[in-house]
Amino acid sequence: MTRLAGIILFLLWLPTAWGKTPVFEVEIRDHLFHPEEIHIPANTKVKLVVYNRDATPEEFESYELNREKVIMGGRKANIFIGPLEPGTYPFFGEFNPKTAQGRVVVE
Amino acid sequence: MLLNSVILILREVLEAAVLVSVLLALSRSLGQGLRWVWWSLPLALVGSLWFATSMDTLTDALDGAGQEVANAALQVLVFVSIVVVVFIEGIWSTRLGLIMRLVMVCAVSLALIREGSEIWIYVSGFAAVPDLRTPVLTGSAMGAGIGISLGVLLYSSLRALPSVWQRPACLALLALIGAGMVMQASMLLEQVDWLEAGEALWDSASLVSEGSLRGELLYAVFGYEATPSPVQGALYMASLVAMVTAYYSSRFLRKRLNEQ
Repeated sequence: MTRLAGIILFLLWLPTAWGKTPVFEVEIRDHLFHPEEIHIPANTKVKLVVYNRDATPEEFESYELNREKVIMGGRKANIFIGPLEPGTYPFFGEFNPKTAQGRVVVE
Repeated sequence: MLLNSVILILREVLEAAVLVSVLLALSRSLGQGLRWVWWSLPLALVGSLWFATSMDTLTDALDGAGQEVANAALQVLVFVSIVVVVFIEGIWSTRLGLIMRLVMVCAVSLALIREGSEIWIYVSGFAAVPDLRTPVLTGSAMGAGIGISLGVLLYSSLRALPSVWQRPACLALLALIGAGMVMQASMLLEQVDWLEAGEALWDSASLVSEGSLRGELLYAVFGYEATPSPVQGALYMASLVAMVTAYYSSRFLRKRLNEQ
């Protein structure tokens, strides 16, 4: 039984290990994105992990990337983006659009 | 902060207001009145508060895909409700009044849950900061006021149409709103890698930017995306086909029933 469970776990783990979707991390602090600019490879799907270090909620939003996600204070969110053509794709925090600005540079 | 709040709340309210206005106009032209809409408000309020307060657990559910899957499910359910509305309109007789009103209550409540929860998260999050309380609350009230006014304007415009055009116009708008909802749902599922994104079909951002006023209005009605993915495009078309099928099959059915 335990061996079966082990095999199942291994099989579940395999796609994540083989899928090798690159992971990029961004932090929101004082309504600013750190780093403001993320460089990702062209024509590749990547996973963006956004940590909201503020106490207030934020909404990660990008018209160019077609993405929108509420991130509560002190939480994190996974956002998959791409595959994308080379170029610059701006994103912003919808709750603090003046300060929370960043961009994904695809190269 | 004031202007931000106006724009943010306006965007959320506008999306819901367009759907509510069209359903109200259709309801009136079927002689069903407007009172049913009050039933959806308590449902939407309870739903949004529950949705907003469980956002933490929801976001982490399903390996981090919970928020998107829940939102996508809400939008697909709104779409299904709209298809049912279109179908009932096709076989319309006053005996179906209660069912029609119930389906409309369902569509409006579900649509308001998503928008309402986002408004609640924003307002409760920032009104808690003493310096921001006044601008956030004032801005939100202004945004909601403008959004609702635009909804009233749309409702009045639809009601001002010659009566033969009212129902077709409402149905056409509902088909577009419904397809837009499905497209939004597919975008959310791409965001958590439940659907494969693929490369954008086209880029019309230079023509109409999604962030512009025109873009926002087109988004509220058609679910406009400047760079739709192939899956989004396909599902949009499939939703329109489903609407057209509901429209013609209900009319065919009614003709058959009348012949008997």
